[in-house]
This record gives sequence, C-alpha cells and structure tokens, in this order.
Amino acid sequence: MSKGVDVIVIGGGVIGAAVAYYLVRAGVQTMLLDRGDVASGTSSACDGNIVAIGQRPGFDSQMTLESQRLLEVLVEEMDCDVEYTRKGSVLVVEDESQVAFARSWYERQKQAGLPMRYIEGDAIFESEPLLARDVVGLVECASDGALNPMAFAYAMIRAARKGGAVIAPFTEAQDILVDACGAVKGVRSRGRILRSKRVVLATGIWTAEVARSVGLEIPIIPRKGHILVGEKTPIRATRKVQELGYVMAKNPETGKRDVDRETEERGVALVYEPCESGNFLLGSSREFTGFDSTCDKRVLQLIAKRAVRFFPCLRELHVIRTYAGLRPFTIDHRPIVSEVESIPGLFIAAGHEGTGIAQAPITGQMIASMIAETKCAIQPEALSIKRFEVKQQQERMV
Amino acid sequence: MNDDVIVCRCEEVSVGEIRKAIQEGARDVAGVKRRTRAGMGLCQGRTCERTVIKLLAEELHLPEATFLPDTVRTPITPTLIAALLGERNE
Repeated sequence: MSKGVDVIVIGGGVIGAAVAYYLVRAGVQTMLLDRGDVASGTSSACDGNIVAIGQRPGFDSQMTLESQRLLEVLVEEMDCDVEYTRKGSVLVVEDESQVAFARSWYERQKQAGLPMRYIEGDAIFESEPLLARDVVGLVECASDGALNPMAFAYAMIRAARKGGAVIAPFTEAQDILVDACGAVKGVRSRGRILRSKRVVLATGIWTAEVARSVGLEIPIIPRKGHILVGEKTPIRATRKVQELGYVMAKNPETGKRDVDRETEERGVALVYEPCESGNFLLGSSREFTGFDSTCDKRVLQLIAKRAVRFFPCLRELHVIRTYAGLRPFTIDHRPIVSEVESIPGLFIAAGHEGTGIAQAPITGQMIASMIAETKCAIQPEALSIKRFEVKQQQERMV
Repeated sequence: MNDDVIVCRCEEVSVGEIRKAIQEGARDVAGVKRRTRAGMGLCQGRTCERTVIKLLAEELHLPEATFLPDTVRTPITPTLIAALLGERNE
C-alpha cells in the first residue's frame, strides 16, 4: 500500500499521545494506532496527578520535575484548556512517629531540586483549614499540580494531527513485523501491512501481550487502583493532599504506617484531588487483580474511611461515581523508556504505574530524542529495558 | 437540534460540543463523555444519555440501537460519604 511512515506509535493513551506529539514536533512522520478509541484505557481511569513530591528523591522526582517544566511549555503551545492548575501539593504527616521520615523526605527532595517547604504548627491549618486538627505537619512541593488527563491526551493528539501525524483509532496492531536481519519493518493491522522501520510501544498494561509477538518478555503487569468522584462543592482543600503514608504504601521499603491490616493489604492511602471542575477525587488503592477493573465496595469504603480520617468534613459530602483503573506496574517503580537492542527499530515507552500523566511530556521528549536525536534534559539509561534483561539472564543461569 | 441547546445540564454541555466530539472521533457514549464531560455530573447521564445517543446516531448515520448506555457504576444515586461508611442512613 503506502510508502510507509518514519515511526508507528502503538497505543493512544497519554504516553502514546505525548510520544506522537514530540515526534511530530521534531519533524518526524508519525502514525499513531490504537485498537480502540484514543485515551480510553488507563488514561481515562486515573487522576490528574502532576506530582513529584511522592516520587523517590533523586532521578525519579527530578524526572517528574523536568516533566512539569515541559508541561508548562506544552500547555502554552497547544493553546487548549486541559484544566491544568499548579497550586502545589502536600504530604500530610499523621502523627509524631512519622516526623523523622517526613523531615528526611523533605530534605532529600530539596536536595534533588524540588521547591519544598515544611509546614508545622498553626500554619498547617492556615494553609489547609479542612484538615483534622491532630495532624502534625505538611511537606509541600510548590511545583506540583493537576489536570484533566483525558483532555490532556486529546489535546496532544489533536496537536499531533495538526502537525501532520496520522491518527488511526480502532486500528489494532496484530503483529510487529521484522525483516530477515531481525529489524523492525512494520506492523500488521486488519490484514494490512503498515510499513515503518521504527515502532514505539506505548501500550501500558498491554505491553507484555503486544511484545510477545516479537518474542520479548516485558515485565509490566496491571495494578488496580480505585477512585471515588465527589460532587461539586465549595468545601474543598486548596491543593492536592496525600498522606505521607501514601509514599510508604507505594514503597514498602520506606517504612510502615499505623493502620489496620486490611488498609495495608489493599494498599489504601489518602490521595485527595480538588479538580478544576469543582469536583474532588478520592483515592487510592493498589492491588494485583489481573485485568479485572471492576470496583470492590470494600476498597471504596476503606478509601472513604481514610479520607474522613484526614478530612472529617467529607462525611457530609456526596460521592457521585466510582471507578477503578489498571496501572502499568514494574517491579522497580520505574517506567521502561528504551530502545530494544535485540530488535533494531523497536522502542518501549510504558510501565509508569501512577506517574504516567505527570511523566508523559518527559517520556515523549525522551523517545523523540532517541529517534530524532533532539535534546532531552534527562538521560534515559536508568529506564533502559536492559535492567530487566540482565535479571532474566541471571535467573536463567541460576 | 440547534447547536446552542444544552444537553447535559449538570456539566452544561451543548449539542454543538457533542457534535464536535463525534466529529473528532467519539464513537460511543463514553467517548462523548471523556471529550465533553457530558454525563459526568450529579445525575451521571440520567438526563442526557438518550439525547447523546440520538446525536451519535444522527452524526454517524447509524441506528440508535447501535449505541449502548454507558457502564453503570456504584453508587446508583449520589451517596453521602457517612452513609457509604455505614455511619448513617441516607
């Protein structure tokens, strides 16, 4: 059929949208495929976190910080409303037992270059009047914010299309095709061959399935998270509020909170997001349940319980909807943003778990820099697929 | 229907905005919702869903029966968080 394109991006979620956007911006002829509608999977069942504060201090938090810088430019360039607000975010220190950890987290993030502040005493309640009166501190990052993830993905896709990209929803990539030398030569979709020497997998939780067609084992699995949507109300916190224990629930190696076993086992921790629309979102939970994304009422209750522990006033407000999303989890809590050396022309941009919205811009820029040799502020070595290949080889040797 | 008519009252989404979303690629009720917020409000699409389906059918030249209602999720009606916790009846 056609003479082909420079790059085919598989997956039209927020990551694929960002990859397509930055490729087009670098002058690369791009085609984006999705087996369904764009932004209809993980990117439509999440929150709008643009938050660096909870990321491991150092490379991970700096990567998000850089992504925040890119987002500022991106929002201007796209000139379209993605409900973006940048009011900072805070981690709530629940009791005295968490103070030492909170202090060290604050120091380490500050050293990493994040605009941090430690708030204590009366200043806590001047800053967030709705918080329970017994909490003992707030760790703040001023550069954090939130946006509407679907509006964000659509805006990038619209801009990529305007810049010349071909956007093909409802076009499933059945196989990735390689030539006699093992290099990428295209994608088979609906019986047709779409030619391209480069393919980017922005396939999130489905990456393992898609990569299997070229014999690759990609260690990304779905991790479920529940969210409750609150009614529109003027009774809202001023910014994104998470409990410090969220960092602990996410990375068990950082310590333990004083919560009941059920809350711990289901990975429930307060994440509160006041939305630009006037609503508020409540999360979070983290569980491995395969590809099942149905809501579990018990988990919703545990989230609500955690929410009223920090915001007692929430008891009097209504939940209007709930949903659960599947996040692409990797064992070391880092995405894979990488070329695949064994299959020249194949790239992976997936595995961001809960940071995909925040890290979409930097991920798009990284992939563009690998393909078009444009500049990128973050070096991608730490995100290479090689870190897993080495482990897989070691396992085989044992 | 005139483009200015409000379809989703909760989120104030007009016929014109919904038509634009369909032209941009929305192919079902959820696709319209993600692009416009129609159905994301207090009534969760109870008022507007039928009209959204009519507009999808009209724009895409397909029978209305092609379009299924959006997934129903808990809670069925807005629920007080205190009630969700079992502390109080609604």
